[in-house]
Amino acid sequence: MGEHIIELEGITVRKTDGVLLDRISFRVLRNEFIGIIGPNGAGKTTLLNVIAGFERFRGTLSLFGRRESWRRSRATRLRIGYVPQLFQIDPAFPILASEAVMTGAAGRLGLFRSPGRQEREKAIRLMEMMRVAHLADRPLGQLSGGERQKVSLARAILQQPDVLLMDEPTANLDIAVQKEVLDLISEIHRQEDLTVLFVTHDFNMLPAAMRRAVLLDHGSTVFDGDIDTAMAGKTLSALFRYPLQTFERNGRRFVSYG
Amino acid sequence: MVEHLADILAYPPIQRAAIACVLCGVSCSLLSVFIILMKMPLIGVSMSHAAFAGAVLGMLFNVNPALTGFILCLLAAGILGPLSDRTDMAPENVLGIMFSFLMGLAFLGMGILTRTKAVALNLMWGSLLSLSQTDIVILALITLLLVLFVLLFFKEIRSVLFNRRLAAASGVPERIVYYALLFLTGAVVSSNLATVGGLLIFALLVQPGATALQLTYNLKHFFIISAASGIVACVSGLVVSYIFDLPSGASVVLTATIIFAAAYVFSPKRRMAKLKKKEYGP
Repeated sequence: MGEHIIELEGITVRKTDGVLLDRISFRVLRNEFIGIIGPNGAGKTTLLNVIAGFERFRGTLSLFGRRESWRRSRATRLRIGYVPQLFQIDPAFPILASEAVMTGAAGRLGLFRSPGRQEREKAIRLMEMMRVAHLADRPLGQLSGGERQKVSLARAILQQPDVLLMDEPTANLDIAVQKEVLDLISEIHRQEDLTVLFVTHDFNMLPAAMRRAVLLDHGSTVFDGDIDTAMAGKTLSALFRYPLQTFERNGRRFVSYG
Repeated sequence: MVEHLADILAYPPIQRAAIACVLCGVSCSLLSVFIILMKMPLIGVSMSHAAFAGAVLGMLFNVNPALTGFILCLLAAGILGPLSDRTDMAPENVLGIMFSFLMGLAFLGMGILTRTKAVALNLMWGSLLSLSQTDIVILALITLLLVLFVLLFFKEIRSVLFNRRLAAASGVPERIVYYALLFLTGAVVSSNLATVGGLLIFALLVQPGATALQLTYNLKHFFIISAASGIVACVSGLVVSYIFDLPSGASVVLTATIIFAAAYVFSPKRRMAKLKKKEYGP
């Protein structure tokens, strides 16, 4: 049995408008790739926010063997990378793509230390890995959505985290770019030896490296197990309250209307 | 004309006014970088009204108006930070509420002020020629503090300006940077009440940053261009006001607007964007 680096026990998040997470419990092994999947409003992003330290909660959360409150030490934050959904940026905003990647090193460097040659070389290496090195000197706001998400991935990895939290990183991208970004995510997982929690509602766009799925509905866990079982038509129909069926092609499962 | 200006500069009140202009230009325009890039122009309005309300309250209770203005500004910054971090309230709404509350407070103070209101009104548009040595020293210290903040924490500032949440996630003390920024805004605004006044300072907290936004994609250059345009607006505004016998605050603000308009018209960034649009279609 491997080491559990994330442990959630009875995690509950309440807001004035209701319960967003209701006693969520599961554990994550080092190097696992888990999909947090569910319909809109299921509590997926809230769950990611709890782990990232952006959300107050009740229950027990342990990260890297240490019990954590919603406030995080810098040391813990450095070990958790975060890739958000594609966000809007003013095209005139004064930041180049390479500078945006370099912001990933800001926390690790600490106060009063500027990024040196080592960080710059690592940033360029990561941009090469993400196939955006040729855009290093372009203003970030002028890149396409897919290019910006690749920059975002490079930024998160420059932080050298152990865990990568991804909140629908392929949302709002066209289908070809989605596939490219998903392949890059699987590559990062393998090369950087990362534990990945990947939030999505799109069953047809799952990274190949994903082996386990936690299905959420109305803030509760309705399934926790291997991805193939999660992809059963019956499970998904119940989750989305809509008749769905799954079929297999080239070793991959796809979801369609039933 | 030049000789005449040199003669005028020999007078200590004019020297102090010129120094204050430069300091006001630097401090306000450095802050305007944050205000423009974080899209929070109401910060300037709220802070200037906090300073103004504080100063009026100081007059009401016979306490040094500059001190009470400064205290109320810091208080406003202390309330604004945690309130704008609440997820159930949009920061611009918090700023709007605070702005109207402080404006009400200032006018209430003005209404019940039994003494002459001329002194209080001076705080609205400043009076560069009646600055004391102490005013200049305070302004210089606060400007120095702001310059050091930008130089020492440039890396953290860039991260926070880019995206506060991502900065926090990557271990940058974003909340400290953001709160420090609010406190510095309070300090800069209250220390400039005597120079350009609470009403006109808003223009200097927006226009230099808006000017730089037209001209560069480099954040370091952004700070430099903003500071330079702030200094040019303040100094040339003062000279124009002297030559044509115009109110100095109004001249400074109108000069800043002209600089912004020129930057907008000749903006290389706008030209690039237009070319790109032509190349790729709408």
